[in-house]
Amino acid sequence: MTTSTAAKYGTARRAVTVRVNGRHVTREVSTRTTLADFLRDELDLVSVHVGCEHGECGCCTVLFDGLSVRSCLMLAVQADGHAVETVESLSANPAELHPIQEAFAEEQGLQCGFCTPAMLLRTKEIIDAGREMTDAEVRHEISGILCRCTGYQNIVNAVQSAGAKLRGPTAGGRD
Amino acid sequence: MTYTYIGKDRRRIEDPRLLVGRGGYIADLRLPGMLHAAILRSPVPHAWIRSIDATEALKLPGVVAVFTGEDCKEKINPCMSFGPATITQYPMAVDKVRYVGEAVAAVVAESRYLAEDGVDLLEVDYEELPPVTDPMAAMEPDCVLLHEEHGSNIGYERTFEFGDVNAAFAGADLIVEDTLRWGRSAGMPMETTGAVAQPGFNGVLEIYCNSLNFSYFVFLIAATLRIPSNKLTLKPVPAGGSFGSKLAAHKVPALAGFLALQVGRPVSYIEDRIDHLMNSDHHGCDRTYEARMGFRADGTIVGLDIDVVDDYGAYMQFGVGHHGNAFSQVVGPYRFRDVKYRLRAVVTNKCQQGAYRGFGSEVHNWVLERLVDQGATRLGLAPEEIRRRNFIQPDQFPYKIPGGNLYDSGDYPAVLDKALSMIDLDSWRAEKKRLREEEGRHIGIGLATTQERSVFSATEFWFLVEKPAFPLTSSPESATVTIDPTGQFQLLLHCQSMWGNSPETVGATVLAEEFGIPPESVNVRYADSAHALPGTGPGGSRYTAMVAGAIRGASRKLQKKLLHIAAHRLELAPEDLELVDARVQVRGAPETGLTIAELAGTAYFFALSLPEGMTSGLEESYTYDHPYTTPPAPDGSDLGVFYPIMGHACHIAVLEVDPDTGMPSFLDYVAVHDAGTIVNPRSLGGHVTGGATQGIGTTLYEELAYDEDGQFQSLTFRDYLIPTASEAPVFRIGHVQTPSPFTEYGIKGGGEGGRMVAPAAVSAAIDDALREYGMRVRRLPVKPATIVATVQAGRAAEG
Amino acid sequence: MKPPPFTYCDPESVDEAVGLKSEYGADSLVLAGGQSLLPLLNMRLVRPEALIDINKIGDLQKIEGRSDILEVGAGVRQYELEDHALVGELVPLLPEAAGYIGHIETRHRGTVCGSLAHADPAAELPCTAVTLDATVVARSPSGTRTIEAQHFFQGRMATALEPEEVLVAVRYPVTPQAAGHGFVEVARRVGDLALAGAAAVVNLDENGHFTSVSVGVSGISDTPVRARAVENALIGEAPTEENITRAADEIVPSVTAGDDIHATRAYRRHLATVVVRRAITAAVASAHERSDGK
Repeated sequence: MTTSTAAKYGTARRAVTVRVNGRHVTREVSTRTTLADFLRDELDLVSVHVGCEHGECGCCTVLFDGLSVRSCLMLAVQADGHAVETVESLSANPAELHPIQEAFAEEQGLQCGFCTPAMLLRTKEIIDAGREMTDAEVRHEISGILCRCTGYQNIVNAVQSAGAKLRGPTAGGRD
Repeated sequence: MTYTYIGKDRRRIEDPRLLVGRGGYIADLRLPGMLHAAILRSPVPHAWIRSIDATEALKLPGVVAVFTGEDCKEKINPCMSFGPATITQYPMAVDKVRYVGEAVAAVVAESRYLAEDGVDLLEVDYEELPPVTDPMAAMEPDCVLLHEEHGSNIGYERTFEFGDVNAAFAGADLIVEDTLRWGRSAGMPMETTGAVAQPGFNGVLEIYCNSLNFSYFVFLIAATLRIPSNKLTLKPVPAGGSFGSKLAAHKVPALAGFLALQVGRPVSYIEDRIDHLMNSDHHGCDRTYEARMGFRADGTIVGLDIDVVDDYGAYMQFGVGHHGNAFSQVVGPYRFRDVKYRLRAVVTNKCQQGAYRGFGSEVHNWVLERLVDQGATRLGLAPEEIRRRNFIQPDQFPYKIPGGNLYDSGDYPAVLDKALSMIDLDSWRAEKKRLREEEGRHIGIGLATTQERSVFSATEFWFLVEKPAFPLTSSPESATVTIDPTGQFQLLLHCQSMWGNSPETVGATVLAEEFGIPPESVNVRYADSAHALPGTGPGGSRYTAMVAGAIRGASRKLQKKLLHIAAHRLELAPEDLELVDARVQVRGAPETGLTIAELAGTAYFFALSLPEGMTSGLEESYTYDHPYTTPPAPDGSDLGVFYPIMGHACHIAVLEVDPDTGMPSFLDYVAVHDAGTIVNPRSLGGHVTGGATQGIGTTLYEELAYDEDGQFQSLTFRDYLIPTASEAPVFRIGHVQTPSPFTEYGIKGGGEGGRMVAPAAVSAAIDDALREYGMRVRRLPVKPATIVATVQAGRAAEG
Repeated sequence: MKPPPFTYCDPESVDEAVGLKSEYGADSLVLAGGQSLLPLLNMRLVRPEALIDINKIGDLQKIEGRSDILEVGAGVRQYELEDHALVGELVPLLPEAAGYIGHIETRHRGTVCGSLAHADPAAELPCTAVTLDATVVARSPSGTRTIEAQHFFQGRMATALEPEEVLVAVRYPVTPQAAGHGFVEVARRVGDLALAGAAAVVNLDENGHFTSVSVGVSGISDTPVRARAVENALIGEAPTEENITRAADEIVPSVTAGDDIHATRAYRRHLATVVVRRAITAAVASAHERSDGK
């Protein structure tokens, strides 16, 4: 390492400022800390569930600058200056659920709850995109998040039901 | 029988906290001063450990300590095991590694990152031995041994015969036979297994873990750790799925406990996904069958002859309980009486078997149905017809099967009829023909009717063994119901039973039924092992039926107390009163009465207003034993009744196979289950769809593969293929309810649900789609390469 | 499963990134989307001394269309191929193929050039790169060089990039308006890498015969394969099922991948002919649609 590189990049820890669920937070982190571990360990956002740490299960999905990403496949330092949303951005209060969370409760689109925060965030992204989808399209759109409990059927129902509620009483879309 | 709350779709009590990401999982737990452990996994399948050098690792700042199997051997005892005493296992390999991934050393450090850095610096000298990977070769007398002390790689060998199969086959018109291979898969929950241990108050070691049923055998973990059982408290936390993989997962809490005791600080050991894939306690069954079934010309099954070799991997923690489990429903839903079952359990250089939804009976179901389907094809009978001809009839229950188990109740024709009413098989068969002829497409229809034994009791762990070391017969469940001074209900469950099922909703629903209170008003809590009454926990589809019995028992005691307090206050006889909608009232004069809240106030605060001899408070506990277990006959001629609460299911799968790519895709899927009285149909439906999707995974996608050198091939989720939403079919669910005569409310278990049936239905559908090419699914998972090879061979044979 | 220590560098200019890459050489890895690199890091299968994160380099974020070239910078994410109107207009094969890459969550982060640099022979973008005769642009202290896709992929996860080079962009020739394209992939599950996949771009003359055929195949060898023999067998021919099927069989000798737990070599040999046939058939249909649409 040259002296100038060492001076600029030699540090193993850095301060990062991230807008998390609408609020700016600043923490000093190790440069190798994954975004998932940062959210869980530094910010106590334990809703970010770590299931595989190699980007295949999808349980750690968060919204990064509004787009769903796997937080185990990013470094915390990469979030500096960016916005992250976790499921707490919907509602962190079990007594006042967001309509998407309500739909999952009503349709029982969850069993053990481990993939649930990821599914909820992905559902938000799908609904925010505004387009009605067939059930088969919903299945394709959530295929990046593994659920081992439900066989997905009630999750698909919940996504559709939440979409219908949030988009208002428009026609069809189911197949 | 109609109920007010039982049997209705209901929102789950568990869900609100899960929906905001506060499930209370093991990885969410942080204790002051907590350290983290990472393990070094063996890169070789079979070797003597010559030395482990931790010098460099210990120099690394942040690394606190390094421990190896040698430390385990010196300081603790082997892990719990129901297997042969000469096959012992520690949380880390002692002297020898026996599979790729086995724990060799643990590094304890200030963070998981640093612990893994320490693992990187460990140096191990292995003296490699030939790997034993083929169970057939493992049985050869000159094969290298995994466990020298055991003297053989055969962990168990015995032949059971009930009836006379040779005589039965002599009278058969057709005997079908097949070699059937069930590959290794696993529950593979999204959350791995983990534990956090801390030396706590008064020298008690506390272990938080997401393996749930430790109030049952906390003493076994204590024995491993060489501490008195009253100095160990297991604090189970909810699990992010199990499907068997967290059933008595003992290595992880034992390892965390061992490490915490050594360093005197809290230690967290949470498997990462690679740990879990290659070194969990719970790979699923891995069996090869030579199987025969005899038929008369009319399709009547006359007998079954099975020779199964089960590749248990390196250790046998549950003995051959998986085959005890298969014996619970060895004839399926069929009437034949002659069964021969030869079992050889073999140890090889692979991860050990444990539990996976079905616990070995799902494999037996698949084998039975494969043979029945082959018989149907050869005899020219439709799959539904051959099954109908062989069903045990509704008026034959309770029905004692060969082997000794009893089926409590059932209406198998009704389940089949219900399934057939939900799908028009005639039109599908016509459509299949049309699509084949007009568009060259290949549609297949598969139908399976299988048993779904439920309400596990303990004898299956040892009854196949001639001289069992610990022939336990208890598998109770307990509940404590408290009405507080304001009349609010608390329900205490005596094991932490939440792993994706609905123990709180079930408990609250039953309590609501008993007292006429809203289910959502009940608060449910869990006891840790220090406070728990006997509880076996979920597993073997037992929890709903068992906890309902416990809650009802506790409720009856409380109801009696309420009636007596009310009778005393109203100056009436208890017999003149009844409990209706949370109120004790006079029979025939309901306007006179007292609410539960009023009575609770009396119970807690007005001792002088209580009947003579009654003490204050409103809390009752009840321990509900398994409703029907009998011991086996000493000579092994009868295994006893051990799994009598018998569910049943019929699945019909319709799929299309692309013969050019070998890729299947579902067109329809009907699943009808009879789990007795249903507490919450939507929850049961979730078990059916979830279980069936796992069954589809086992059938088509999932494989924990080892190559012939013993190297593990399924290291990541890129290779272990769990079905996504796009692979799972759209299920149509139906229910039939034949109450059990033996359980409270007539509840049967349904937790293992779809996985008991789906492999048989899907295999049959693939056969049906490609029958013209001679397709017969004989090996799971059935991969596209096999399908295409069969199609090509079939086409070549046609010329 | 946590990344090993590394020096984290996040340069804000290409020059600085190139400087760092030349300083660290083979001991460094470029972090773009990280969707292949982070798994390797988490599993400690790679242990770079330095990680050079190019996500802050604004110059690399561009998609630019010229009359004959579509240039995609090294910071451009895979989902942008699906969403960016220019891409679909100039090189319509790209958005179609992009839909098969992993899942939307990985496409939101994974980059186009990162996939090329990772050089997984079963991946979609390397396959489309060889099909489209794309050119990879690499920068080093000694300047910029371009590498044709078919020379860029040198083996399984191996490319022609030198240790001091940074891949900065990929250039795709603009697809002629009348050309048809097709992309077919067979994977065990949605989102999995291909057991075999094929991309095809075809041009038909006024008689409907092939004037040009370009076919790339994934999953069958150590690199994505350009199916020259298939292409040659079709030039001047009519796009009949029989012709396409016969030509597709020419892919078989190129299948060198051995058995693995997902597929056998024999299966891949067969599957390669299937995906090639289907991709060409789809490309022909697409060409017909385009000419009908005129």
